Amino acid sequence: MDKHATAGKTGIEQGLQLCTICGNYSRQIDNPETCPVCFNDIAQRKNNSLQKTWALLITSMVFIIPANLYPITYLLKNNILYPDTIFSGIISLINSDMLGIALIVFVASIAVPIFKIAALAVIALSVQLHWNLSPKKQLWAFGFVEWIGKWSILDLFVISIMVAVFDKGHLLSVYPGVAATSFTVVVITTLFAANSFDTRLIWDAQTHE
Amino acid sequence: MVSKVPKLKAGYAAKCIRCGRVIAKNSLCDPSGILALCIAALILLIPAFYFPLISIHLLGITEGANLLQGALMMTSNAPIVSFVVLFCAVIAPTLLILTITFSSACLTFNYHPPYLPKILKITRILIHWSMLEVYMVSLMVAIFKLMTYADLYLGAGFYFFGALLMLNMTILSNYNNHDYWERYIHG
Repeated sequence: MDKHATAGKTGIEQGLQLCTICGNYSRQIDNPETCPVCFNDIAQRKNNSLQKTWALLITSMVFIIPANLYPITYLLKNNILYPDTIFSGIISLINSDMLGIALIVFVASIAVPIFKIAALAVIALSVQLHWNLSPKKQLWAFGFVEWIGKWSILDLFVISIMVAVFDKGHLLSVYPGVAATSFTVVVITTLFAANSFDTRLIWDAQTHE
Repeated sequence: MVSKVPKLKAGYAAKCIRCGRVIAKNSLCDPSGILALCIAALILLIPAFYFPLISIHLLGITEGANLLQGALMMTSNAPIVSFVVLFCAVIAPTLLILTITFSSACLTFNYHPPYLPKILKITRILIHWSMLEVYMVSLMVAIFKLMTYADLYLGAGFYFFGALLMLNMTILSNYNNHDYWERYIHG
């Protein structure tokens, strides 16, 4: 099997494909569907990458609205229920003089999800409409989205710790609200959206210009 | 873009000629070293999840909370949240360390079972979902939030968890999925 590859040219120009599972490359005509090394599915670009990314992005755009409007936690204190949204939680942190913590929670639960959705949408649009944005900047933004993606789950972990600690029935308890579930959906769909996007499409869009 | 990867010295990494991302690295640890780290991590895993991370003195009672409790208590109210928390903080890290232990052991002892490729494939996916470091920061945030309500004490689990986090980061920075595939194919 001749699989000579020239550095400096794209794999797609040379009829080569890279396996995303084992990291080996092979010739497309020899093995159109499976990787000859690890026998997993293979393609020159991730199949339907843009469609999947859009579907997941739109889902997260829908769910980010209830995640921010509805209460994310309920505090039950002396039989009275106090609901808390993401934003009111941050405000109460600021009021109790914990600016640092308020900033962490704000970045993780409000700034990061919105930035992730916006950045992925811009990258996907520029690939689709050949906007000719700088590919290095797009890739930098994508890398940032990928790196920061997991940090938006922070608020959910905090809720789980609060629920475990405040467990005194009607006297003092914390319950997760509707927004907690919506927020989970936002986090998960944006993580999958970043995962299903094929970064090589950014460069493909440039050369086809 | 096709890049030619030169022979790398231990601890060095090669970057893509087009975008500058790391495409290959030569880690300082071979599978036997990673196996040792993984076994240490597996031992720490149990006390880290089982012992209370923090204890709180509230309404006259001192009570500890461990990592599993919070997630399990939400199952009735918010099953999706509970599952995601449980998966990212407990299941994925545990499975990840188990799969890396298993594949390192196989490669160290030259044992090549037919399901090793599946294990390597699962490991690659799990890396994205193991979020121990995020949990650590969440714990810090929770501690600061709780300090206004009650007296807090760090439990034994907290120290085990800290050590587990260090080991986990060492393992992941030295683990190289592609290198394991190469060793599996050529070994």
